[in-house]
Amino acid sequence: MSNDFEPNIIGFLCNWCSYAGADLAGTSRTHYLPNVKIIRVMCSGRVNPLFIVNALQQGADGVLISGCHPGDCHYLEGNYFARRRFVLMHKLLEHVGVDPRRVQMSWVSASEGAKFKDVVEKIVSDVKEAGPMDQFRRRQLNW
Amino acid sequence: MVDENVLRDKAKEILSSGEVRRLIGWKRGTYGYEAAPCVITDASQADDLIFDATCVQNPASFITLEEKLPVPRGQQPDTRKIAVMVKGCDSRAVVQHLVEKAYIRDDVVILGIPCRGVIDRRKAEKIFGEAPQPVLAVAEKDGVVIRVNGEEKKVSREEILADKCLRCRYPNPVISDYPLGDEVEKWADDDFSDVSEFEKESPEEKWAFWEEEFSKCIRCYACRNVCPMCYCVECIVTKLKPQWTRRSTDLSENTVYHIQRAWHLAGRCIECMECQRVCPMDIPIMTLNRKLTKDVKELFDYEPGVDAEAQPLLASYNPQDPEEYIM
Repeated sequence: MSNDFEPNIIGFLCNWCSYAGADLAGTSRTHYLPNVKIIRVMCSGRVNPLFIVNALQQGADGVLISGCHPGDCHYLEGNYFARRRFVLMHKLLEHVGVDPRRVQMSWVSASEGAKFKDVVEKIVSDVKEAGPMDQFRRRQLNW
Repeated sequence: MVDENVLRDKAKEILSSGEVRRLIGWKRGTYGYEAAPCVITDASQADDLIFDATCVQNPASFITLEEKLPVPRGQQPDTRKIAVMVKGCDSRAVVQHLVEKAYIRDDVVILGIPCRGVIDRRKAEKIFGEAPQPVLAVAEKDGVVIRVNGEEKKVSREEILADKCLRCRYPNPVISDYPLGDEVEKWADDDFSDVSEFEKESPEEKWAFWEEEFSKCIRCYACRNVCPMCYCVECIVTKLKPQWTRRSTDLSENTVYHIQRAWHLAGRCIECMECQRVCPMDIPIMTLNRKLTKDVKELFDYEPGVDAEAQPLLASYNPQDPEEYIM
């Protein structure tokens, strides 16, 4: 894959940890890659795994889900449910033939601005290697 | 296997006792290799009931389909139960319904029938061709005695039984109020070798396979309609607000539909293989479901449709769940 491919990555970040972590990375002037477009959700348990499929269909090259560390969930158990769902959806997408590097999940707490930067760098380089998502992207119809 | 007279007598007894309002079972079809499912409400109809190796359809699908109309003022709702005849695999659907509280245990009367396997229409048509008359078939320990167009033949089990039966782990119903017939011994086990074989392929090879299969889909939704686990009042694929998948039959929408369908059966699919049986385009739908079944078993040590007291898989969690995919 040529290096000029800039992937589009959708990040679902939980309001209480990862979003604050991304905020911390920004306020502490850490440079992190701009490929991840962040969507704030109240909890990683809010992320219906079909959001991943929907994002990939609508033009995302990768999807990142990030939430509080297990045990730290603001709603006590949301990220435990998210973890089960994510692992199964990850395996299902892999079975259909979607590159497993496109869909990733991480635990980032509000104080881990540096970790958020690392996570973003990893998924961007992974998705760059995987190339553009062209398997079941919805074609743009010109009526 | 069960003597049909025992079955009919039991059905008559239950229906005439006034305990149930209807009974779901099988009767002889008008043609072909598959018996027809039937719903009877009166003891006089019980003589239609049959059970043999042509009873492929899962009657548990019909329990949740009953339309519950508002009762006119002054009348009482019919609170009698529904009786259902189940094979081993069908009984798992009933258990999973109970786990999900689709209905309560007191609402159903279960007539459990041990089963030695049912025949696969596609395999049978390859051997015998089309059957304009209804086919009779009895599965035995060492083969299937089948009567097609007036000729009786015996064929080996591997040749004619459905794939799900060749790896059946639950030939006897896991739940029943009235067990009918003698229990049969288990003859096979499931090692998911077909799934692990497919897993070894590269993402490109996998996608090449699915691209071809998914492009065949005509989105008739037969797989969804026949599934005993798909009983949502409003299905996500026909919902318009929000519209999760568009209705056009192109590769993108078909892929998303099949991922959604498989995903909604994660930790719920009881492998009756009805979806694959009814597919008019012969898409190997169960390959997706079996992948999830295998993962659910390996990762969470969970098997749907076995224990009626269990928690639904995705509505419960274990703090020690595997985390290998998470950064």
